[in-house]
Amino acid sequence: MQQATQTAPATAAAKPPKPTPPLEFQEGDIAKMDAAGLVKILSDANASEFQKARACQRAGELGAKDAVPAMAALLSDEHLNTYARYGLEPIADPSVDEALRASLPKLKGLFLIGVINSIGKRRDAKAVPELTKLMSDADPQIATAAIASLGKIGGVATMKQLLGALPKTSGAVHLAVADAGLVCAESLLAEGQRDHALNLYGYLSSPAIPKPVRLAAMNAIIREETSTRRPR
Amino acid sequence: MPTRRQILKAAVFPAIVPCSVLGQRSGAVPPSDKIVFGGIGIGARGNSDLRALLSFGQARFVAICDVRNERREAVKSMVDQKYGNRDCQMYDDQYALLARGDIDAVLIATGDRWHTPLSIIAAQHGKDVYCEKPCSMSMEESWALADAFRRYNRVYQAGCQRRNGGNFQLCKELLKSGVLGKLQTLYANVGPSVNWPPLPSRDWLPAAELPPKQVIDWDRWLGPAPWRPYNPEYVRGGWRNYYDFHGGGILEWGSHTVDLCHWAADLDETQPISYEPVGGNVGPYKVNCKYANGVNLVMRDDGWDGSLKTGSCSFRIEGDKGWVETGDATRIECSDNIKPFLRPTTAANLALAYHLEDLLRCIKTRQQPQASAAAAANSHIVCHAAFIAFQRGKTLTWDPAKREFTNDEIANRMRSRALREPWRV
Repeated sequence: MQQATQTAPATAAAKPPKPTPPLEFQEGDIAKMDAAGLVKILSDANASEFQKARACQRAGELGAKDAVPAMAALLSDEHLNTYARYGLEPIADPSVDEALRASLPKLKGLFLIGVINSIGKRRDAKAVPELTKLMSDADPQIATAAIASLGKIGGVATMKQLLGALPKTSGAVHLAVADAGLVCAESLLAEGQRDHALNLYGYLSSPAIPKPVRLAAMNAIIREETSTRRPR
Repeated sequence: MPTRRQILKAAVFPAIVPCSVLGQRSGAVPPSDKIVFGGIGIGARGNSDLRALLSFGQARFVAICDVRNERREAVKSMVDQKYGNRDCQMYDDQYALLARGDIDAVLIATGDRWHTPLSIIAAQHGKDVYCEKPCSMSMEESWALADAFRRYNRVYQAGCQRRNGGNFQLCKELLKSGVLGKLQTLYANVGPSVNWPPLPSRDWLPAAELPPKQVIDWDRWLGPAPWRPYNPEYVRGGWRNYYDFHGGGILEWGSHTVDLCHWAADLDETQPISYEPVGGNVGPYKVNCKYANGVNLVMRDDGWDGSLKTGSCSFRIEGDKGWVETGDATRIECSDNIKPFLRPTTAANLALAYHLEDLLRCIKTRQQPQASAAAAANSHIVCHAAFIAFQRGKTLTWDPAKREFTNDEIANRMRSRALREPWRV
């Protein structure tokens, strides 16, 4: 018969009661609010940071496109910009892409990086020209964000931009270009552009490429060339 | 440029080379064969992992990165004491640690919000990873995690150590051997809601005075989570009660027990197609799930060391010919017809050591360990789906191939969370 070899851990002890948040930091009615109510909060100069933060999250979950302009206005807010993107990212409406693209020339630093990341997540191909310019930004964090988003958007045009950037970059930016190349190659494969993908993997296998990416690219080539799904 | 002869002449060789360096002593590992580790965010749970890791001669821990000075110092002290030197390096920037070419693998035991982004960054730097659970904060992070480790061909072991626990493995064997009959229902016992309810709070705690950056770097502590004012309760571990940092009780414990169910039943490549939440945020709750082949998965909090006293993190397998249940108490409970098949198994407290041994072996062989990124991502997605169903308060249907809910657009919008800049997955 089974022998217990150690004392059974007791049922997890009840934790001490968690602190009660102050009234102004309690979600309250916002959790059930409709889009109109959320827009009202987001547009109210007297609404608190907490209220606006929660309103953004709720608006995103509801898919409240009426709230897009109000959330876009928060993209440069030091404390609320992430919440604004939290609200904007899941709304499948072109107005979000337009708002994000329109904000690019107006933002700097981390605010700009956040929007670039959101654009990449939404794979907005119309943003490729702006992102391509940002690839060579003097701030390496901005450049790497733009490069990563381009990789996610993918496509042959992006592939060419990434290949062009490989010999011109160094350090973290170079690693970002190489990583984006891997991501781009995967999307090319998924879209049936096998030759372009293998060509890209070939470049990424060269000795000048950072070792982790080089090994990943070689691995991908071997996987593809030995796959039973390989065209013959 | 010096010649080869000049270099050799100038070189100082030790008169005696310790046999351990050459790997000649029984069990000793030469330095060149050691797997070199760094650690990021080693707190209470991470300490258990690290202590177990330090017991392996084939692993060498050389660096710690943490946003909290006291934790950096504590880990350095522990490691230096173990090795009898002062070599463990401290960092407050993970990129500096990951840039070290001598580090092969990293132990990540930060708060949940950091798990996926850090794991992916580590893979991009060519590191293998042991990461505590829950491994992801959203479905999107789960997919990104699995993609990154497949892309970079890195070894990843999630902190789902029970996959290497003897009593859990015996239950899996019993199912595979056929003595339980055709699989009917899997039970993933999740923690009681009195600890971490299925729905964490969306509230904020009041702002408190921010300590100096060298004591706690709040910006780095928040990391990918949205901004909120500092309060020491979060840093003390209270972050687990808050949605922006936590996936609630379902993810907290389902990342262990749902994971066990998937592993035991060879479901690492699929997910249930429906999720029915039952109960509320206070008191008993469960989520009834069903796979396309008709098998049921029940996540329930009343099974957590319930009447069978099989201990925390327990799971149960019911076939049409018998059932079996086990947990951290190591004891295995089962239907009478299964009792002849039981045998003694290793102690539950050895699971972590076996789990780390599995990782170390795979780092050498380049195989994937028991709780690979792909397997962990899959079981975490099930937990996220159940969590979303609980938040929505309705039965959700899910298409695993399309990666979308088929009856609720709001649920689909909850599959990802925006990360605070500059972080991304």
